[in-house]
Parts: sequence; structure tokens; C-alpha cells
Amino acid sequence: MDDLLTDFIAETRETLEALAGEIVAWEAQPADKARLDAIFRFVHTVKGSCGFLDLPRLQRLSHAAEDSLADVRAGERSPDQALVSAVLAIIDRIGELTDALEANEILPEGEDEFLIAALAQDAITSVQDAAAAVAKINVLPATPPTRTVSRSIRLPVELLDRMMAGVSDMVLARNELSRLLRAAGNNSATDVAFDRLSQCVGEMRDAITRTRMSRIDALFSALPRMVRDLSAELGKTVRLEVDGGDVELDREMIEMIRDPLTHIVRNALDHGIEHPEDRRAVGKPEFGRLRIGARQSANQILIEVSDDGRGIDGERVVRKAIAAGLVTAEQAAAMNWSRKLDLIFEPGLSTANEVTGVSGRGVGMDVVRANIERIGGTVDIESTPGQGLRLALRVPLTLTIIPALTISVAGTHFAIPRSAIDELVRPKGDQVRLERIGGELVAFIRGVRLPVVDLGRFMGLTDNPEPALLVVLRAGGGERYALGVEAVHDHEELVVKPAAPALMASGVYAGTTLPDNSRPMLLLDVAGIAAAAGVRVVHEAVEEQPVERSKIKVALPTLLFRDLDGVTRGVRLALVERIEDVATASVVETGGTLMLPLQGRLTRLHRAAALPTGERLRVLRLSDGTTAMAYAIDQVMDVVEMQSEMAPTSTPGPVAGVVLHEGSPVEILDPYWLFTNAITPANDDSPICLVADSEDPWAREVLAPLLGQAGYRVLFAGEPNEDRISVIVTSGGSAPDGVDAPVVRLRGTPDGTGDESIYRYDRDGLLRALSQHVAGGK
Amino acid sequence: MALYLIARIADETIALPATEIGSVVEVDQIAAVPRVPGHVAGLFALRSRVLTVIDTRASLELGAIDRASGMTAVIVECEGHSYALLVDEVEDVIEGGQAEPCPALLPSSWRRAARGTIRRGDDAILLIDPATLVAGPEPLAA
Repeated sequence: MDDLLTDFIAETRETLEALAGEIVAWEAQPADKARLDAIFRFVHTVKGSCGFLDLPRLQRLSHAAEDSLADVRAGERSPDQALVSAVLAIIDRIGELTDALEANEILPEGEDEFLIAALAQDAITSVQDAAAAVAKINVLPATPPTRTVSRSIRLPVELLDRMMAGVSDMVLARNELSRLLRAAGNNSATDVAFDRLSQCVGEMRDAITRTRMSRIDALFSALPRMVRDLSAELGKTVRLEVDGGDVELDREMIEMIRDPLTHIVRNALDHGIEHPEDRRAVGKPEFGRLRIGARQSANQILIEVSDDGRGIDGERVVRKAIAAGLVTAEQAAAMNWSRKLDLIFEPGLSTANEVTGVSGRGVGMDVVRANIERIGGTVDIESTPGQGLRLALRVPLTLTIIPALTISVAGTHFAIPRSAIDELVRPKGDQVRLERIGGELVAFIRGVRLPVVDLGRFMGLTDNPEPALLVVLRAGGGERYALGVEAVHDHEELVVKPAAPALMASGVYAGTTLPDNSRPMLLLDVAGIAAAAGVRVVHEAVEEQPVERSKIKVALPTLLFRDLDGVTRGVRLALVERIEDVATASVVETGGTLMLPLQGRLTRLHRAAALPTGERLRVLRLSDGTTAMAYAIDQVMDVVEMQSEMAPTSTPGPVAGVVLHEGSPVEILDPYWLFTNAITPANDDSPICLVADSEDPWAREVLAPLLGQAGYRVLFAGEPNEDRISVIVTSGGSAPDGVDAPVVRLRGTPDGTGDESIYRYDRDGLLRALSQHVAGGK
Repeated sequence: MALYLIARIADETIALPATEIGSVVEVDQIAAVPRVPGHVAGLFALRSRVLTVIDTRASLELGAIDRASGMTAVIVECEGHSYALLVDEVEDVIEGGQAEPCPALLPSSWRRAARGTIRRGDDAILLIDPATLVAGPEPLAA
């Protein structure tokens, strides 16, 4: 059923219930003015709604009652018993018809006329007749009306907000419990119960979030009328197609989109779609077509408005922009088509030659874009001159939950809406560098010059000369700048609430949020910071680099992760066996290398920077099929298809080269180097090395790990022996009896003593001797 | 009769109307907020709510509350937002009569914030409007 109709039924029923008492009182005292007014208002409202909803029967009934009551109010008629009865009968009838509407039934129509006739002043002269007539009407329905149980209720939004706050509290409590459980150690039964609880809380949060959702129909339902009226006014014929009205989004969000959408539709009708004769002249059908559609993609709603009108001519926009002094001719010459079209969003640019009453002039697309960007959305434009225009609005599902990136300066965390972020870059090398021009920091990112706002200095938190990382932001109106930050942390979905007026007045915050760690955080207003920092608009006049299509690039699935040193790196997915969380305490350091027990074996652990101090460590388990190694990371970011072609690094190392991904350089790990340096772990087939000096701490703590790294299984004399000993190592002591294997003797001093012993720190000599013996023994 | 919360701000005993107070809490960690007026001490999380912390001494231009020790805050709602008003001390809740007019001579810092006085025994206590504490010191006339 239509949303509007459901609303109407609920509202009418609610008023009827409230009115029940009034009606009885009015019956007793027909001269009571207040009661009369209440009833008059009711029939008047019903009449209005019915006209809108196209319910002629209800409209006729309410209209008749309204007329009679208006006479009474004007003093032209006295409220006699007959009139009261007749009005009451009509009100009852409205109730019955409303029920029938909901149950999708049709009541016989004949009685309506009878009821309306009963209202007429001279129709019924005596009270008895009137009563009889009304009584007759009341017994008319042969079957008692079956009142369906309503499946919808009306709730105040505040109650929903309170429920949402309650669930948020539960999520925080769950997170705390989760921390406590982790600290207390594993208990699988508790974990299972806790997981179930977590799931329930998550589902409940989703359900309550959905209660705030409304169908986008609420926005679209007004469009047909508007298009009809406007096109009539403009002398155009337009066929409107609306699609996707059942898409749901946040009620508040719908209100925020209403004005921009109305503006776009007006523009399309006024400037886009041509007059019928012009359309005929260019061979188009006389009917202009306007399509409006909505669909959900991931956590965004895409609203597309397209027409088959004259479109926007990018060249004309550019001429206007040059004339208005917004860009220079040189800048314009370097722009590609979409940049030229984007100029339409510049303030003070309107392409309409004449001012019209419909869309006016000047307030234009810049306001539309600003409004959409304020709620975390984007506007894209596509146009083919003469063929039409397509505008795509992308908005988040809700106002309150925003995907955001957490960054920090000097230990203070801030959130930035994801929708405003173009890319993250680290100023180093030729691709991205920072320069000081006239005291101002300027970033050059792949040849594009961008103004820099150093967040630390801007906020008065640090006075570091240069930021470690740059977040390239779109400040609205196509303007971009780089925000200098110290560190980038998480991608999170944050529940954002408006901040107190004193905070909002600063102009640099968009709201407050409470992440899972219970520390309040502020969401930055990206455009506000640009304005407050006095960032000047720099129009990027960059030669678009021709894309070489001839080269076929192979895309490989690649796991993107944030390394311990904060750099985004990638590793080909085929190498990743699994992602594991391990206890940091289980990492052991042997001979300068880190080892990690994974599935019962010591595996080499590579790290790009010092291990984090937390209890748990996230590692990638990499395997080339035979050798396994672990790579410590900060966080997994994404799995993407990435081209195989890369700019190789000049020196061998853990990084093989750099690939551009979505405009940002990503370092790709070199598996060859990593596995070369990962020692083949000992396994059951490895040669066994018997260490004779089982009591000697040096043998246990220095020698044994070296042998283990070299791929030997190490046994100590006195331990249960196996008969497959390949080689015996002894330092000074004698070889154990009864073991038939070659013996390698170690000595404590570098100087040779004439025998075949090997200096115990002559690593190469020792390993060579061992491998000779093992090879010889086989 | 009405209920009043008695607190101390900068060695002055003041009263706040109890009907406008949500609760009294201990505040430990305040997240600082740069680029805001001085009387806004920062943000504080009370369960899932984020409160804006107001330094009432700074609001009245009487210095700043000592942030080192455990701080006491009075939670109030003002125009749909929740605030934690940092005070030096919360003493008591008392019943009192209707507020009487302010004494004619009041230091300027208190004059704006006072709604009147109430009586506790023989003492007259300034009744403070929480909204003026939230609003902070008046901007200097241009």
C-alpha cells in the first residue's frame, strides 16, 4: 500500500478516536462552539487529504459535512438534532470507509447519497424522521465491518533516538566485556555465548537503524505534480519516469535531498528540455523525457536524474567561466571535458542566457553541490550536447552513520568523512614532495600543486615543521587541498551527532562521535577547515596524461595492508595462506631474527618496523608452497585487483616495486627476497644433528638455534635417540657412544690447532662442514 | 518550595535549580578540543553520550578549574545538547523558596549569570542560570 495512504488511514483513525468524546459532548450540547470547531477541522482535513489521494467517496462525504458545518459556524443555520445526527452518521461512515480502505474492501456506495441528503436543511423536518433515517442507515451494512488489525504504528522520532542511544550503550558495554574476556584468557564456552550476544546486539542495531528509514517515495511522490505544473507553465511537454521509489534511506536524509533534487528537476525542465517545436526541428520526439531513479549501492544511495534535452555544452561553460574570471584561458585550454563540465558547479556561473521565473539565475548548481556535500554526498555530471544531461547524486544511507578515516596529530584523534578523501600520500621522493613557497607549505603530488593545511599547526597542537602524511581532500566545489597529519589509524563507521553550538561555531567541526574505545572524537568539517585556514582556490590545470590502451595490463588480486611503519603495502594474494592474530609474547628473537611458532613450527617473522606493544600481533602467513614465513602487519585494508606492471626498486629488499593504485603508490612485497631470507624450517625429513654437549648452555642457546635455522633438526645427547642421526656436533667433549655418524668438532678459539676442528663462530665453515657430512652420509 | 543544588565555584557558594540538572558525575578524562572558546574544556563520554565540558570558572572569567585532581561536574541539558559543568565542589541539595532579586552591587562576572538569590539559613546564595555558564564570557564589544 502507498505510504501516503497508510499515513492517511493512521491519521484519520487516530483523530477519530480522539474525536469520539467530542462527538458525544457535541450531541448533548449542539451549540458548543469549541466542539463544533474540532469536528469541522476533522472533516476539513479529511476532505483535503482525500482530494490529494484521489478518494472521491470520502471526499464527497466530508465535503458535504463541511458545507453544513460551515453554515452553522457562519450562524446561517442552527445546529439542530437532525443535523447533529446526520453529521455523526457521516463521521461514522468515514470511519467505516477508512477501515474498508485498509482491508482493501469496497462498501456499497448507495448509502452515501442517503447520508448526504440527510444533511440538507429541509430534507427531514422532524427529529423522529431524522432519527429513523439515521437508524436505517446504521443498520444498512449487512455484515458487521471487519476491522483489520493494523500492522503499523506511529512513533515519535525521539523515542527511536532513545532506542538508538540504548543500543549504542550496549555496543560499548559489549566492547568492554570483550576486552575483559580477552584479558581473562580463552574459555570457549564463554566465547560462544559472547559471540551470540555480539551478534544479537549487532542485529538489533541494524533493526533500529532501519526504523529511522523511510522510502524515497516520500521524496518522489511530489515530483509528478511539480513536473506537470512546471511543464505547463513553460509550454513544454515532458514525460516523467520515476523508478526505485522503494529504496529506503534515513528520514532526515530525505529532507536534506529534497531541495537539491527539486532544483535539479527545475533546471532540467527549464534549461534542459527544449520546446516541442525545437525538439521537432532537431528530430527528437515532442515529448521530453525526464528519468529519475534511485538505487542502493553498498552503503550509498545513488539518485540519477537524466533528461534528453539539449545538455550542457562544456565549451560554452568554459567561455562563461573565462568571461566571469573564474579561470584563465590557459587553464581552460588544459582542461578535459569533465573538468569543463565541473565548472558548472562554480559559484556565480549560470549557463542560462535568459532569466526565468522557474529556476531563476545565479543560485545554481554550486548550491546543489554544497548541500549534497554537506551531508557527505557527491554530485557527478555527464553531458552530451544536444543529447541530454545526466546528474548522479550519491549520498550515504544515513546522516548519523558516516564511514570515516581516523587520523591523529600529537596524540589527538580526529575523524574525516571518507566521502571527502581523494587519497593518502606520504611526501617523499619525486612523486610527492613538500615545498615552502613564501612561507606557505605547498605539496606537489605527481605534478599537481596543492595548498597544504598542516592540521597540527592549524589546531595549535604541534609545531613540527613538516607533516608526515598528507590527506588529499575535496573541500567542495571541486577545490582540493592537502591536510597534513601525523598518523592514519582506522577506517570506521562512526555514529555522528551534532556538536554543541560553541564547537560548531569554530567552523572546523562537523560533529562528535564516540568510537568503540569510548574516547570522544570530533569529525572535521573539511570545507570549514579550508575556509578557516584561508586556503586559496587553486585550479588544477594539469595535462591529462594519455592512457596507453595498447598495453594489456594483467590485474592480480592483491592484499593491501598497512605495515607497521604506517606505509600501505600490497602482497599478491596467492602467497597469503592466512591472516592470523598471535600473542606478541610468543615472538622469540634468535640471532637477530624473529621467530614465531605457527602450527607447532618456528617460522621466521619479518617486520618493517618495531613490533607494536599490544598483546596481540597480526601477521600474514605467507607460503610459496613449501616454505612458510610470517609478516607482521598493522592492519589488513582491502583485497583489490592490481596491475602486474610495477616500477621496480633499484636495490633488492623486501619491496619489489611500486604500483599505482587509485592514484596512490603502493609498495609491493618481493616474495623472492622474503623467502630467500626465510630459513627453511626443519621438518621430519630434515637431517638430524646430534649435539653432544647437552649440558653446555652455549650449545643449547647459541648453537642449536643456528642449526635449526640452517634446516637441521637438533637433538641433544641423552635425549631419546633416533637411529637416523646424520651428523654429530661436539665442542671439545667426546662424541656420544653407539652413534654411527660423522663428527664435527668445534673449538673455542679462532686459531687452528692442527686438527680438523672448526672455530665455533665460523658460521660458514660450520655449515659447510655439516652439509658435506650430511651429503656424504647419504 | 523548590530544590537547589549547592556548589562552589571560585570560592563562591552558588545554587543551581535542581530541575535543570540531570546528575552530578566525576569527570576523569577530558578530550581536548582545539580552536574553541576558552571556557569549553573539551569532550567527555558519559556512557554513550558525548558531553561538552564547560569550565565554569572560565565562563565567569574567574580563572580555571584545577584539572589535575578528580573533577566534579554537574550535567545539564541546554538547547538539546548535554553539558558537563565543571565546578570546584558540590556541597548539598537544599529546599528553598522562590528566588529574590539580586543585590544591587555584584561583581560584573557574576551579574550576568545570576538569576537572583535564595536563602539558606541566614545566608543569601546566588542562583545561577546554567545557560549563561554554557554560553561563556561575553565576547568583547567590537
